[in-house]
Amino acid sequence: MSTIAETAPRGQTRRRMRVDGWRWAGRIFLVFMLLYTALPMIWMLITSIKSGFAAMQFPPQWWPDEPTLASYQKLLDPQNSVGQDFLRFFWNSLYVSTVTTILSVIVAVPAAYAFSRFTFPGRNFLFFAVLLRNMFPAVIFLVPLFILMRALGLVNTHGSLILTYLTFGLPLAIWLLKGFYDNIPVQLEQAARIDGATRFQAFILIVMPLSTPGIIATAIYSFIGAWNEYIYAYTFLSKNEQLTLPVGIQRFFSENTTDFPGLMAASFMMSVPVVVLFLVLQRYFVRALTEGAVKH
Amino acid sequence: MTIVTGKTEARRRLHPGMSGMLRKIWEHRADYAYVLPAIAIMLIVIAYPIYYTIELSFFSTPPGLQLRDKTFIGFDNYTAILTSAVFWKVTWNTLIWTVGSTLISFVLGFAAALALHRDFIGRGVLRAILIIPWVISAVAASYIWKWIYHSDFGIIGAVLVGLGLADRPPNFIDSVSTVLPSLIVVNIWREFPFAMIMMMAGLQTVPDQLLRAAKVDGANAWQRFWHVTFPHLSNVSTVTILLLAVANFNSFIIPWIMTGGGPSNASHIWITHIYELAFGRQRWGVASAYSVLLFLILMTLGYFYVRALSGNERKERGA
Repeated sequence: MSTIAETAPRGQTRRRMRVDGWRWAGRIFLVFMLLYTALPMIWMLITSIKSGFAAMQFPPQWWPDEPTLASYQKLLDPQNSVGQDFLRFFWNSLYVSTVTTILSVIVAVPAAYAFSRFTFPGRNFLFFAVLLRNMFPAVIFLVPLFILMRALGLVNTHGSLILTYLTFGLPLAIWLLKGFYDNIPVQLEQAARIDGATRFQAFILIVMPLSTPGIIATAIYSFIGAWNEYIYAYTFLSKNEQLTLPVGIQRFFSENTTDFPGLMAASFMMSVPVVVLFLVLQRYFVRALTEGAVKH
Repeated sequence: MTIVTGKTEARRRLHPGMSGMLRKIWEHRADYAYVLPAIAIMLIVIAYPIYYTIELSFFSTPPGLQLRDKTFIGFDNYTAILTSAVFWKVTWNTLIWTVGSTLISFVLGFAAALALHRDFIGRGVLRAILIIPWVISAVAASYIWKWIYHSDFGIIGAVLVGLGLADRPPNFIDSVSTVLPSLIVVNIWREFPFAMIMMMAGLQTVPDQLLRAAKVDGANAWQRFWHVTFPHLSNVSTVTILLLAVANFNSFIIPWIMTGGGPSNASHIWITHIYELAFGRQRWGVASAYSVLLFLILMTLGYFYVRALSGNERKERGA
């Protein structure tokens, strides 16, 4: 190790000179990707502070002559019928996503732990069966699930969405958490067991605290997945007062096709919760996603 | 199972009569309790629908989901699909959509991961910005891009006209020839960050010593990438590409919201087409047959996915 440490600085300077071309290519590429990523979002924000008239101009106003927050006020005003709908959709999304998140953590934690620690017969088969769920599109399940939900009396309830999102999120949640449990040394539990803890106590007192980052990451995933889901909500819900945001916005703006500032403001506000959640907790988020595919 | 060796010994003595597999299952009966809730939910919401879809694909169904009136017609739904012109059109679209989106997302994401690998000022911020499109809802993304592509007031059209590259704003998503590439651009916008995250994590596992050794031996930057970094990432790359391919094969929201499959089926892919058959035209039997075909294709992809994943596990255990 010491020889590597000594030669490192010399290697660094030599590399800097030789790789300059690649490094510049990398920088230019990153600038290009930044523009590709950010410009659409910036244009969304600029459009959202225009009046309906200012948005419909050619050539467009690059920056609105009279910036206005009217679209946001309209969407957030409970007195206004548009605002009423939007706030209700927002609340519905929040409710469905939160319940889904809590339930999927409760179900995924023991399952992931078992897949990581125990070697019961059929373990591999069950694990891959769970993963395979990820392979199939929503549409395959849509018709039979619709009929199933009707039989259970769940059509037009948030319960139908929560149950469906749960199975949607579970494979990924189990996979992510298993990665975390794999990295927690089993000796810690053995030590606790020798000290007289039951397996359950060892799990609750030793393993759970250590896997908190994994649980947080799993929770964010479930939440974002449920928050952004469209196709089941689009099929299972028909009553206006139950719609979640993605469907609600779509229904609303298929009737008001020219209100682009309003649409952009709604898209922006729909994105805020998940983007904030992601930015605050991104290190868990990114780590967890890669834990399964890349072993450290 | 090392933890409870003593106990299992005891159990084995208690049930000497049971034969191999059954005894093993009995010994581990407590373990199943941990996975039972997950498996139960998956069974209800997955196994049953799969069975039902397969059954329905052999029936002719009246519209309106009164499925008691269905009549058995054998493979007629399948032959109807395979002989229709729309099927081949949609399959071709799906192929372009899946391969195009997957490969370009992967290449862009990989390149971004490489460019972001070394530390520089603002790296964290830049990385966070690049990931945002992947976090926001596909519905929001579809509306943002629909507005960008707008044939009268879209910003791209205005820029092209302003630069003198076009006489009038082009119709990106209302024209048969440009609609699919335009939608692929949107899809890549949402997906390359995923490839980037995966490959960034993969890059962290490439041992520095190997790269240094290669440099000492006189390998240039490209050679080091091609002969050291890239082979080291083959597993992550496989998993990433497969996950992207499956996600793209299954995508629905972007084409559905932006074009609804039009104009004249030019942007219909399998999933949107199945959805329209089922919930638009209420042809449940045909839609189910489509789903079964899709299922078969995905099972093939799934086989490779599982193989790639278990390859990872084996390596990890060996290490």
